[in-house]
Amino acid sequence: MVRLFLLVIALSASFIAPVGRLAHAAPVVHEQDIPYFDSCAREGLNASECAGRLIWFKATAGNDRFHTYVFQQRVGVLIDWFRVLRSDERGERFRAWGGINDPSCCTPGDANCPAKSLDETYGLDWCPGDEELLKYVGKAGYTDPACDFHDAPLAEGDVHGPKDQRQSACDLKFGTSTGMLGIRKFPNPRFDRDKWVKLNGSAGSWEGYNRKIPAAGGSDEPAKSRLLDGAVEPPYLIGTACGSCHISFDPLNPPADPANPKWENIKGLLGNQYSRISEIMVSGMASNTLEWQMFAHARPGTSDTSAIPNDQVNNPGSMNALINIPQRPVFMGEKVLKWRKTNSCEGKAGATCWCEPGREGKCWEKSLKEETVHHILKGGEDSIGALEAIQRVYFNIGSCSEQCWVNHLTDLRVADPQQRGFGQTPFNIGQCRRDCPNFRAIEDRLGNILDFFMSAEARNTDLREARETGLRKADPAATYATQDLIADLEKEFGDGAVARGQQVFATTCARCHSSQPEAAAGQFDALDFYKMDEKSGLRTDWLGNDAPTLVSEVGTFRCRALHSNHMTGKIWQEYGSETLRAQPPDPNLAEPADGGRSYYRNISLLNLWAHAPFLHNNALGPELCGKPANKANAFYAMRPRYVDGDTLSLLPPDQQPACWEYDPSVEGRYKLYKASMDELLNPAKRIPKVTLLNEDVTLRVGPRLWDGTEKEKLVGFSLTIPAVIDGRGVNAGTVGNFQHKTFVVDLVQAKFKPKEVEARLVKQWGPDAGKRIFTDLKGITEEVSSQPNGLVEALKKRPYLVKQIYSSCFAEIENAGHRFGEDLSDADKKALTAFLATL
Amino acid sequence: MTTHRTARLLAIAAALALLAGCGAKEDKTPPAISFAPYGEAHNAKPDFAELEAQHPLSVEELYKITPKNLALLEQEQVDQIYARLSAGPIPEGPYEGDLFFPKGGSGKLRLSEIAGGGLKGLLVNVAGKKLDLMGEILWKGKVFYRDERLLRNRIEDLKTLKAVGLIEESDANPLQEITVNGKDQWLLFPAQLYCGQSLLDGRRESIIIDYAFTDQLPGYRRMPDMMAGRDGFAIRDEIRMIRPGLYLGRAYIDRAFVVNFVLYNKAVDEAGKAGYLATGKTAEDCWTGTQHRQLVAAAK
Repeated sequence: MVRLFLLVIALSASFIAPVGRLAHAAPVVHEQDIPYFDSCAREGLNASECAGRLIWFKATAGNDRFHTYVFQQRVGVLIDWFRVLRSDERGERFRAWGGINDPSCCTPGDANCPAKSLDETYGLDWCPGDEELLKYVGKAGYTDPACDFHDAPLAEGDVHGPKDQRQSACDLKFGTSTGMLGIRKFPNPRFDRDKWVKLNGSAGSWEGYNRKIPAAGGSDEPAKSRLLDGAVEPPYLIGTACGSCHISFDPLNPPADPANPKWENIKGLLGNQYSRISEIMVSGMASNTLEWQMFAHARPGTSDTSAIPNDQVNNPGSMNALINIPQRPVFMGEKVLKWRKTNSCEGKAGATCWCEPGREGKCWEKSLKEETVHHILKGGEDSIGALEAIQRVYFNIGSCSEQCWVNHLTDLRVADPQQRGFGQTPFNIGQCRRDCPNFRAIEDRLGNILDFFMSAEARNTDLREARETGLRKADPAATYATQDLIADLEKEFGDGAVARGQQVFATTCARCHSSQPEAAAGQFDALDFYKMDEKSGLRTDWLGNDAPTLVSEVGTFRCRALHSNHMTGKIWQEYGSETLRAQPPDPNLAEPADGGRSYYRNISLLNLWAHAPFLHNNALGPELCGKPANKANAFYAMRPRYVDGDTLSLLPPDQQPACWEYDPSVEGRYKLYKASMDELLNPAKRIPKVTLLNEDVTLRVGPRLWDGTEKEKLVGFSLTIPAVIDGRGVNAGTVGNFQHKTFVVDLVQAKFKPKEVEARLVKQWGPDAGKRIFTDLKGITEEVSSQPNGLVEALKKRPYLVKQIYSSCFAEIENAGHRFGEDLSDADKKALTAFLATL
Repeated sequence: MTTHRTARLLAIAAALALLAGCGAKEDKTPPAISFAPYGEAHNAKPDFAELEAQHPLSVEELYKITPKNLALLEQEQVDQIYARLSAGPIPEGPYEGDLFFPKGGSGKLRLSEIAGGGLKGLLVNVAGKKLDLMGEILWKGKVFYRDERLLRNRIEDLKTLKAVGLIEESDANPLQEITVNGKDQWLLFPAQLYCGQSLLDGRRESIIIDYAFTDQLPGYRRMPDMMAGRDGFAIRDEIRMIRPGLYLGRAYIDRAFVVNFVLYNKAVDEAGKAGYLATGKTAEDCWTGTQHRQLVAAAK
């Protein structure tokens, strides 16, 4: 079967029409790309938008090394890729991991699947392009399909043009699909098939590689596996594209069977609301490890993007739905220090101006200027420009990790303030551009990705259209007009509900959730939420002003707002504007909130009907779960969330509301929206949710020994976070938020530099609290000096040190806050729910 | 903790001076190598990528390094050298080894202190003697079996291990012996060799000496080998080549850095010197990264 063939672009005739400017020469088109071109045609994308889409869906920018070697060996966290991607559980992949199956892939042995046995594909799906890729497993010489990527014409006016000097497209690194959209695979040239078979029994098995090996020290110690063994080279290097989190089902056209979607059911920008990317990232860890506890408590559709560049502020947040981006608010006059394209560095210092060797006038200069920028991320932290915000996504997914950023991370085990790794240092964009070709390959095409963001694929997906699309599956001539939607909503919520809801929204919500200037001016009567923008053809109002609001005002779970990676001296410093960092801290918080932190931006409410549950952490509304048949992957069942608000202990099983099974259908989304709106507008109905520790967790700093001669011997020290303190359960985030390094340094210095430590604590916490903390630290040093294992008991006696003093965030209730609207009448609450369903 | 550590370092400085006084001239003074300026705090250290761009090493500088004089440098200076090295070829055959604590330690009876930090009370059931014994053994002589990606440690004297009951021996599993420089030595503590991540500098791979799955290797004996394995001290070393025949290593216990070490094979050093000085080129078994590594004299 010929899988790679030359096609004139006319083969995708429907795609040509909107593109128009495609190349004259006959480009190489891989079979795996054809559905993508079809999608571009279906969405009406031009050449640049389509190029951006392909990159967004497929480009790993070299992070296959991160997800195979760096995360495991340097960061110390194991991913069991076979557990996630095994083809014999393809039908379970969505339920277990929230992963979206690639419609072009198949399980070896299935009818019409080119691969006949799992041994041929080393246990994973067969996907287009594998007939070539599989030849290179265990060999060098694979040519990445990205090398045949057909670039869109260089944008007119590009400072580095008109000559095309873009970095080789090979460095985008596409590989082939693993069967889960956004997760890509590459042949591992170091793979040794004989050794693999010896370890696992057959080529298609990973049983010897991922089998749990009990610790010799007993069950209190986490089990290990050969996943830890860097000497074992797996058949594939696994990489991730941005699409791994952002590819979603189309709310307008959901799949009949979520485990077997078709390409027309797939969108690239709305965010996967079901993704369990956090669980994927720790899929090779035992549940009683610190790493598992830190990662694996994000809700479906959320991810703690600062978990890898760890700032010790536990803060999972949802993948933002990118909708109607041309209408998204921008902010003028913000102070931005960044690199900008230029043609020459003559007479300028190397530290602030650099030209790429071997190119003509392909230079960048770093300077401080006032610019008009977007506010991106939950607190608007990415704030130096839309292109740079996209650029940073590639570091979130692991690209250029070795060349550019692992050396800037905190190593949780380094407790010496003088050692590298004790804390973060800033990532250097200029250094990364110079040293990482994958960075340049992406940077030279950021305009294409931004064009994709601005494209029709991100247009609003209204409930009216979704219902009409559904009706047309039975009757192609069916219509479902706005008046039909309103009539149906008013049957449900009362006569005149939509019109009344609009009034309520204008006066109650629009000051934050409208982008119209009249809302900012308080002219609520003048607001028209349905007005269309002539230039973009989109609804004018983005239904959010993106302005920062103090977290104490909005009242929602504040840990995300205390995220610190964009502060001065922290890893993403260069991606935050000076204007952002100049924001004053929220005066109502006890936690550190400086450096521009402690805000949430006012998000868009577009298509709210399709994007419940709510809040940045998806905590408001029913809990979602996949209910996979393999109970080892039933993650919600391992961590129910509803608690007694007084004791913070889990409610008994018979009082735990059931989780809602994933349902991406139109009516499934709508039901979830209504239930979530009910909780939003009726805070008294919310049962508090906390992700609790379900067992004591020990942070071990320093080496340990079990030598087989006695029960157990430890060297180093351990800090145990009890699952219950003073009769109250402990939020799992406590582990990630505990500033153990600061604590250890203070503890040691309380003995050796007591006056200095006391003065600092008094300054930070005030005379009474400061002296109390100091006294307790001194007490602990005395207790641990005389008692083996004394630290654990000493801390249990002083729980406030763990939960507050040495915590970056001590919020507990995850679905609290945003009580706006609770005083509305029941009728107005219904009206508001009806109105928002129309937008 | 820092003060305490500094005090310890000062206390053993005299011993260092005595040791330094016994060797050849080049062993008595720190190697004259360029370093980037640095401060005391972790964030006052230079980024390695910028260090390499601004202060590339020359081959001549690499030949100023001896197995002894590295110990006269500060830890940050040792780190700056390590970061500017590449892994080079995975070695073959016997190498002499020694561990060193920069500007300080005797290398003896220190590991347990370092592993425990500065506050003794933080330790939980200190297994200090065993840990220090491991230090005496593991970072001394080694034998590399390059083709098998295997390493074994050479033990000259089994008395100390036997004294604490850590040697298991039977007719079915006799101790392996080797003769190096006319001396009989025993081979213990097998480890795997592979190219992997440096825990200090991610920009290029290092050669990893990993004891985690020592129990899977030929010749493994439960005692004492398991002490280095995943259920013991979980020792993982990484090395990079200074020049042919001389490697600089970093030893980690359960992912915490504890000590530097050098590995040296005089015959390989002497055989490779002329060629390396002329070209600055050597075989590279591991991923060398994408930042251009400048080795100044190599261009001559």
